[in-house]
Amino acid sequence: MKPEISILVVDDDEDFLNILRQILEKKGYEVGTAPSAAGALGRLNGRFYNVAILDISLPDADGTELLSKIVRLHPDIIAIILTGHSSVQNAVKSLNCGAFAYLEKPLDPENLLSVINRGLERQRLVLENRKLVEELERHNRVADILLGVSQAVSQSLDLQQIVDSALDKVAQSTGLEVSFIYLNENDRLVLKGYHGLTKRIITVIPKETGKESGTIGRVFSQAEPVIIADLSMNRVSDVGFLNSGGYRSFAGIPLTPLVQGIGVLGVATSFAHYFSPNNIELLCGIGREIAIAVRNAQLYDAASSARALRELDTMRTEFLANVSHELRTPLAVIKGSANSLLQPDVIFDELTRREFLISIDRDADTLTRLVDDLLIMSRLEADALEVKRQPHRVSELIDSIKDRLDNLTAKHHLRIVIADDVPQVTIDEDRIGEVLTNLVENAVKFSEDNTPITIEAHYNGQAVVMSVADEGIGITPDIQEKIFERFFQGDARKNGRRKGTGLGLAICRGIIEAHNGKIWVESEPSRGAKFSFTLPVK
Amino acid sequence: MDKKRILVVDDDPAILRLLSANLKARGYEVVTSTNGEECLEAVQANFVDLIILDLMMPKVDGLEVCHRVREWSDVPIIILSARGDEHDKVKCLELGADDYLTKPFGIAELLARIKTAFRHRGDPTVAPARSSFLCDGMEINFAKRRVTVNGKEITLTPTEYSLLQHLAVNSDKVLTHAMLLQSVWGNEYSSEKEYLRVFVGRLRRKLEPDPKNPRYIQTIPGVGYHLAGVK
Repeated sequence: MKPEISILVVDDDEDFLNILRQILEKKGYEVGTAPSAAGALGRLNGRFYNVAILDISLPDADGTELLSKIVRLHPDIIAIILTGHSSVQNAVKSLNCGAFAYLEKPLDPENLLSVINRGLERQRLVLENRKLVEELERHNRVADILLGVSQAVSQSLDLQQIVDSALDKVAQSTGLEVSFIYLNENDRLVLKGYHGLTKRIITVIPKETGKESGTIGRVFSQAEPVIIADLSMNRVSDVGFLNSGGYRSFAGIPLTPLVQGIGVLGVATSFAHYFSPNNIELLCGIGREIAIAVRNAQLYDAASSARALRELDTMRTEFLANVSHELRTPLAVIKGSANSLLQPDVIFDELTRREFLISIDRDADTLTRLVDDLLIMSRLEADALEVKRQPHRVSELIDSIKDRLDNLTAKHHLRIVIADDVPQVTIDEDRIGEVLTNLVENAVKFSEDNTPITIEAHYNGQAVVMSVADEGIGITPDIQEKIFERFFQGDARKNGRRKGTGLGLAICRGIIEAHNGKIWVESEPSRGAKFSFTLPVK
Repeated sequence: MDKKRILVVDDDPAILRLLSANLKARGYEVVTSTNGEECLEAVQANFVDLIILDLMMPKVDGLEVCHRVREWSDVPIIILSARGDEHDKVKCLELGADDYLTKPFGIAELLARIKTAFRHRGDPTVAPARSSFLCDGMEINFAKRRVTVNGKEITLTPTEYSLLQHLAVNSDKVLTHAMLLQSVWGNEYSSEKEYLRVFVGRLRRKLEPDPKNPRYIQTIPGVGYHLAGVK
């Protein structure tokens, strides 16, 4: 009937014990008896009784004393005190010591059974409440751990950082000594990180494994956790290496955000039979959090590289269109001028003929410069740009391109400021001349007529710093790095300026870097731009 | 007869000098501007008979100029651009340009295209013998070069009008792409099928109640076009 309910009766009166046993067993209770306090404690030491019925006067102890000991041992026990010598004092003392009820002899069996029933009901409620509270606390703990893992792994979109912080968090929140993560890469499971492994184990842990072979592969392919309760009994397994490090239990947890698996989390501890269903449930939750973060990082990586490729492709396409445009523009003048001179129906006057020839000459130069730029760029890309470095004064460098600079800045005010202490620089004069010309050309292009353009040179103790500054439209911060990339074009239409090939600044950077120097820009939109570069002294 | 006035718009002074010299030598009067904004001012300030327009220009670019000029003028526009891909060409024609020539170009070719554009403007000697054409609510008055649909006047550019007139005069026949291109534009255009496609599209948008299901200009797939519903 109620085989699970047990009652211990303690009384030195053997007859009374027998009568009580009969009454209680008849009601289906399991009954234990003890004639003394020592006997009672002996019985209670090994097991739990739901109810203890105690006589208050025992040969070896006072009943209330025994009651205190029993309640300390089993706080949930229902203790009922029986006595033949009732007194209010005893009753109060017993109840204060934790008795559920205080009954007087001679005993009324009906009354005793009803007291037992009430006691058991209270015990059931207490135990149930405690179980609920414990369950709630466990859930809270699990939720806390999962939140902690989720926060730790979602701090970054870098795969390695996610793996490392996930492993740290697993160790910290579960107390497991060893953890490691394999991720699916090119159809193999590759070891991406580990925590707590000894140096010797690190040398033997497989760096990669098959997706369907062995324990790790099984966890991955079946997307189910695999537990090895005692590694010492399972030396042949592919995680048997853990045993040699003194670890006894292993659990493999699938990293499965959705349908498709992305890897396996392995954990181990030096205790055998460690992993309970609750542990595994928690670890699976942790596995899901890690899997989501890893998947996000993988998707982000894929999207970034696809975006980068698309951007490069768009830039190349635009570059080709721009190069074609830049080639056709001077060609149109050359072809048109030559073609005009060849027309049979018109003879142009001397002045017009000369204008045509000047146009042909000038645009042929433009074309040559463009072809030169394309050649330099292709050499830079092949890492084959030759620089012939020789000592030169900065003033010599500027003199060598002065005519071109004057032509370019005919509608601007060109200022040249060279500090007195500027030493000689060791440069390829032609190439650096190209850089300066290019920067001045840009300054002219992006600033209004009649504004100043300043070329400046000073020595910073290590290198000569040269700069070209204008007071034009400037460059927004978001593109100040990008403008040095090949093919990059500012929004020419927005600026209302003619497009170029997008190679100028990339070439400048290539030439400066070939001199072991660096080039940069400082600018604020609509307050001009200052391009600076360093030149080696030796 | 008065000299025809041509506006040349390009941001490259060498191109402007080159075209001015050539056009003046052929008896045209030439006005120049170096950007889109100046061009729009010049079109408004001077009566011009034709515009030769570069696409990539500072301030207002060629496409925008084309679009804005077409809002109030049917002056022929020839695009002269270093951008040579089909997409640019079709976009310009759709925005209302009459012709598209890629740089570098031959002087003779440019002059021929200018003549074609002027021919579309209406030389009385090529007006058809009939005085008008009537078809399902659309009326073309050849003498007045006036087109109405259900009594409402439709404004056409000279090239659009030339194409419609040619279809109407030959409404008893199917006209092949090559025939239309040669007759309306000139022999050198016989392979420029996208011109036809764009201009038929432009006409349908202006004339047809439902341009996707045309009532007047019928496409004969792989062959050409036919003006339907002869009355």
